[in-house]
Amino acid sequence: MIELDFSCPLAPFTLRVRARLPAPVTAVMGPSGAGKTSLLEAIAGVRAGVSGRIAAGGVAFLDGARRLPPERRRVGYVPQDAGLFPHLSARDNVRFGARGPSPRVDAAVEVLGIGPLLARMPSSLSGGEKQRVALARALASEPVLLLLDEPLAGLDPSQRERILPYLLRVRAEWNVPILYVTHNPGEALALAGEVLLLERGEVVGQAPPADLLGAPAMAPPPDEGLENVLAGRVVEVDEAGGTVRVEVAGGLFVSAPWSVGRAALQAVTLAVRAEDVLIATSEPRGLSARNVYAATVTSAVRTGPDVLVRCALSPASPPWLVRVTPAAAASLSLSTGQRLWLAVKSHSVRWL
Amino acid sequence: MILAEEGSIVWLTLGVAALSTLVILPPGIAVALALARYRGPGRSVLETVLSLPLVLPPTAVGILLLELLGRRRPLGAWLAAHGIEIVFTWKAVLLATAVMSFPLLVRQARTAFEEVDPRLPALARTLGCGPLGAFFRVTLPLARRGVLSGTVLAFSRALGEFGATVMIAGNIPGKTRTLALAIFHENQVGRDDRALALVGITVVLAFAALWTAERLHRRPAAPA
Repeated sequence: MIELDFSCPLAPFTLRVRARLPAPVTAVMGPSGAGKTSLLEAIAGVRAGVSGRIAAGGVAFLDGARRLPPERRRVGYVPQDAGLFPHLSARDNVRFGARGPSPRVDAAVEVLGIGPLLARMPSSLSGGEKQRVALARALASEPVLLLLDEPLAGLDPSQRERILPYLLRVRAEWNVPILYVTHNPGEALALAGEVLLLERGEVVGQAPPADLLGAPAMAPPPDEGLENVLAGRVVEVDEAGGTVRVEVAGGLFVSAPWSVGRAALQAVTLAVRAEDVLIATSEPRGLSARNVYAATVTSAVRTGPDVLVRCALSPASPPWLVRVTPAAAASLSLSTGQRLWLAVKSHSVRWL
Repeated sequence: MILAEEGSIVWLTLGVAALSTLVILPPGIAVALALARYRGPGRSVLETVLSLPLVLPPTAVGILLLELLGRRRPLGAWLAAHGIEIVFTWKAVLLATAVMSFPLLVRQARTAFEEVDPRLPALARTLGCGPLGAFFRVTLPLARRGVLSGTVLAFSRALGEFGATVMIAGNIPGKTRTLALAIFHENQVGRDDRALALVGITVVLAFAALWTAERLHRRPAAPA
């Protein structure tokens, strides 16, 4: 449980946050400049001028005049640019905050898959590699809370290295609450129990991510679209057929394009863009798409120029998001409760 | 005999320059860091005052020091009453060189500290370091090249200090006569060949110091 009741003057406005965050993972969302990074800095204790109360796990970081210095808060903070110490190798960065030679260092290196990077200097790492090393460094310091500022979208979203699959592993294997700033509603949906929505320094919403999808502040950045993120396990690799079969949450099977190094039982993360999902009102036949699922419309809302359709596939599966044009929505006469079929070709399924 | 005399001049000069550099290093780094981080009022005034010895004639600085520490001045009298003699001793040479080289160290180190992203020591704090730990493990290593070259520059300046030294320490053979003072003296008494020999020694020492500074400045950050 993270308890926030503080204010902090920023340049154009004052950041005022009053919220209790009970979820293991809370996504912090909102437009650029809403105060998301400042929120993380206030909790980490590296921002001046914060007043009020901040507590995590029953420990008061800030309570009126009592202010715990950052070194005694034990939060793992990963800033947007990773903030690696440029004069230290990846290994020394990871060890920097470790309390002695701890098995947690090895575990952190393992969970983030950075073993091969340890000897390198930060300047020779890619953006995604830096993020993973920084996350391992934070984990190795045995934090009571992780604060992650997602790197801004790169120029080409398909080339972007994503930290999300690693976060899913951290969430599963490390018992530490996470506050995660992201611009990607698909990631929030996949990872977070709740979204804290900020706008101009104020909390404008706090709810499970699926309930906030219509909020303009949660709109995906125009250049990267909205994704359905699916965590699962490889069931079968069919190299001749050019596909890999993956079982994802809710007992669904997804056919993904063959890619090198995939093996049965491997834990993987897939992404399907909401724009790449086809909707059919009757069961499609003779279609090349390998993935066809029966679904029920749970909501269809206008967001920006498009209609965002939320579909339930199975009770245990997170909702799928489908983006269609208003014209398509009208011609299908989409309405809540409607039965329909979703189709996705294998090549629209991306590996994260 | 002559060689022994020159040897002692060189050792006095090197010793005083090294000691003065050592003495100004801790306060110099502290002041440089404070200036690099401080953004409040009076910052530019403070910077200007600290850089004054760079632009004032060294003799003026020497006079000011004399005014402060002369035996008939309050501070000097107080020190003398406690058995501390500064003026016209090697300690005066040390004081003069320290005062004259301090701004060089501060300017160089300040620039180096300004180039260190202040978020990095802050991150070190979140990883469990106290303020001192963050300074010694992150800020100082990241600024080390600038601090090192500032140190070498301060040392070089100390090697060549003349004006302030001659005012406050005099030109006493075997006591306060450093290389710069000895060159002046030999020239005054018409022994140009000896003056030139001392100039040669000075050139070698200055070259070695500056060359080291240049190397330190150019060398890319070495992997730790």
